[in-house]
Amino acid sequence: MNIKIKRQRYPGAESYWQTFVYTGSPENTVAGVLDELNYKDDITDINGEAAPRISWECSCLQGVCGACAMVINGKPALACETFVKDCRGETMTIEPLHKFPVIADLVVDRSVIQKNLRESGSYIKQYMNPEPEEYEHQYSTARCLKCGLCLEICPNYADGSRFYGEVFANDCYAIASKSGKDEVMTEAYDKHFAAGCSKSLSCMDVCPMRIPTLASMAKLNRGLKGGSGK
Amino acid sequence: MTTVAIVGSGISGLSTAVSLAEKGIRSVVLSPFPSERSQSVMAAGGINAVDEHDPLDSIEAHIEDTLSGGRYLAGYDAVKGLCSAAPGIIAQLERAGTVFTRNAQGGIDRRAFGGQRYKRTCYSGTATGKQIVSALVMACRRYEALGLIERRQWSDFHSALIKDGHCYGILVFDESTRELYPLYADAVVMAAGGQNALFGKTTGSTVCDGYAAGRLFMQGADLKNLEFIQYHPTTLETPQKKMLVSEAARGEGGRLFYEKAGRRIYFMEERYGDKGNLMPRDVISREMAGISEQVYLDVSFLGKDIIEHRLPEVQELCRKYRGIDITEEPIPVTPSVHFFMGGLAVDLNHETNIRELFAVGECASIYHGANRLGGNSLLAALYSGHTAAEAIAGRSYTGTHPDLTAYVSSEQEKLSQSFASESRFPVMYIRDLLAEHMQKQLGIVREKETLLDGIRDIEFYLDSVDRIHYDSSVLAYFNYSLKGLLVLAKATLLCAEARRESRGAHNRSDYPEEDPQMNCATIISYEDGAYRIHYDREGRYEH
Repeated sequence: MNIKIKRQRYPGAESYWQTFVYTGSPENTVAGVLDELNYKDDITDINGEAAPRISWECSCLQGVCGACAMVINGKPALACETFVKDCRGETMTIEPLHKFPVIADLVVDRSVIQKNLRESGSYIKQYMNPEPEEYEHQYSTARCLKCGLCLEICPNYADGSRFYGEVFANDCYAIASKSGKDEVMTEAYDKHFAAGCSKSLSCMDVCPMRIPTLASMAKLNRGLKGGSGK
Repeated sequence: MTTVAIVGSGISGLSTAVSLAEKGIRSVVLSPFPSERSQSVMAAGGINAVDEHDPLDSIEAHIEDTLSGGRYLAGYDAVKGLCSAAPGIIAQLERAGTVFTRNAQGGIDRRAFGGQRYKRTCYSGTATGKQIVSALVMACRRYEALGLIERRQWSDFHSALIKDGHCYGILVFDESTRELYPLYADAVVMAAGGQNALFGKTTGSTVCDGYAAGRLFMQGADLKNLEFIQYHPTTLETPQKKMLVSEAARGEGGRLFYEKAGRRIYFMEERYGDKGNLMPRDVISREMAGISEQVYLDVSFLGKDIIEHRLPEVQELCRKYRGIDITEEPIPVTPSVHFFMGGLAVDLNHETNIRELFAVGECASIYHGANRLGGNSLLAALYSGHTAAEAIAGRSYTGTHPDLTAYVSSEQEKLSQSFASESRFPVMYIRDLLAEHMQKQLGIVREKETLLDGIRDIEFYLDSVDRIHYDSSVLAYFNYSLKGLLVLAKATLLCAEARRESRGAHNRSDYPEEDPQMNCATIISYEDGAYRIHYDREGRYEH
């Protein structure tokens, strides 16, 4: 199989495409493919030209840390749980997430996610024992990887300067369901999520943790403590 | 105002930062990636804490299980502190927003884990570590708003700023600007995780590599118990790595067996009785090392309901990566490197032999002796952070430091010179070769000849490491970290060769018995290229 990768050597550099040949097992994941291409003492592309190692981010390699989020055959996904055997055609394309600045090749700077959560004051101001019926959804929202796949696919998210996306809505719910009335968060939720979400719900299709964000929105919109009920 | 530099943003680093902030002390948390990528999120199984309402269990029983599981190498006082604090830590985590799984009465449910007489492992669904990370990150944001915590990403540890046995801060390499800069601090807390890179891919994160321990060793910090490397008995081989099959699978009743002449041999039960499958990890891995047939872990008989409710992550992992339906068929398992009991030697305050240099979490060696019990690593990560913060809060600092500009400039100069050299391949290639050697020579069962071969192999790479050219196609960190990793690898092999007995996770085919005279920690130190080993018979670090 040919592996066509969108490359960029450093921040601000020109991007270019480079194609490699993968001859390994179809049972492998895209993460395994990148590893296999990289960990040879010599890397050459399809034309036999020497190529620099492919930069990509990984940590757990089993779908629980979100490091390897990228765009595979046009779809935002985690490389470590996308399998070669499930990719149709003779060429697989791999690109970095488009909505974040590229550091190198497939590595992007997603720090805007943390920045928005920090600057919006997303934390529990005063802890209140949650209702037991909220446990399951609280558990679900706390699994968010902050990987950025939901933001990549979202038609409303641009660069995080105004609309903060699904990742923010779920943290808003987590806070609201564990704390007393929080005007700051209510306002932030309305301004940076509720006002901008067109409810395409594409975020839920790509979330590796399958977080039912719609439930977060519904609970907040019903005025669950911190929500305004708008 | 006191400032503390914390290297690493997993649970132990976050625990330190939040504990310091609660006491009004400012910290800077440095890591290459955010906490969501840390190895802590992979800790699925749970965290041990005695249920104070359990009429059978007690703190004393938790202490005894921990000491016995570690084959009595850990210190009683250290372990007592850990186990006594556990119930309070659980309560604190709940208040921070961690959702623990409940029992029918609405209390926190507890499950059975290996090497423990009672059910005392609290858990949060299938993602205990992740749930704790999410809660602590949120707590961090509270203190970020107050200016008490600053989290810096793309920040790699380079080295410590040490003079006359006192640490005054660290040198940080910023991958986004490619600059090496000094960060002066009143105290430094290392929370950099285990030494995974020595073995290439382990069950853990690729980000935890062991470089910090190697570099600090070269700067004068003592390392301890490096030979004790835990092989987890139940991992699943996949094309990309060996993935952990949680100990919860055995806790829920899973049975280990192999097949011979068409018959299932339940080897752990045959040898150790009904609770054989719940023996500590070192015991099971050692048994498995002597079996030539494929070993399986069977949970299918538990039924779909229990599997789907109690072991969904095991079910998903096996289905996704190997197409195995664990409700119908057994899981083929193999032991794999999982945890490092050894690391930076620390005292009960979590301070190293270098003043104001602390270590917490897996990069510190304390509590686990020769083998760690499942459920004690999350506990130790949290407790060690609290303990280090407590010690720092009890001191007064002047906020001054000696002139270290000569060291800073010389390291900056060295790094710029290496940037100027250019060669594409050797660094990553040598990292791969290192892992191959270590896998071969530091397996579950070791012997003198292979260990000596290993030492010679590593020395060969060490001889040339300063002449290896800079590989500009990988991160600068991979380049400058190589020597520290090689030094750490050599120290580990030396410790394994020197301990001529079998104890916990360290098994010698040439010394198969436990030697009562060796009931003490191994300490290794480094001076001008010389490695010195001694045994801590006086309990200098842990007693």
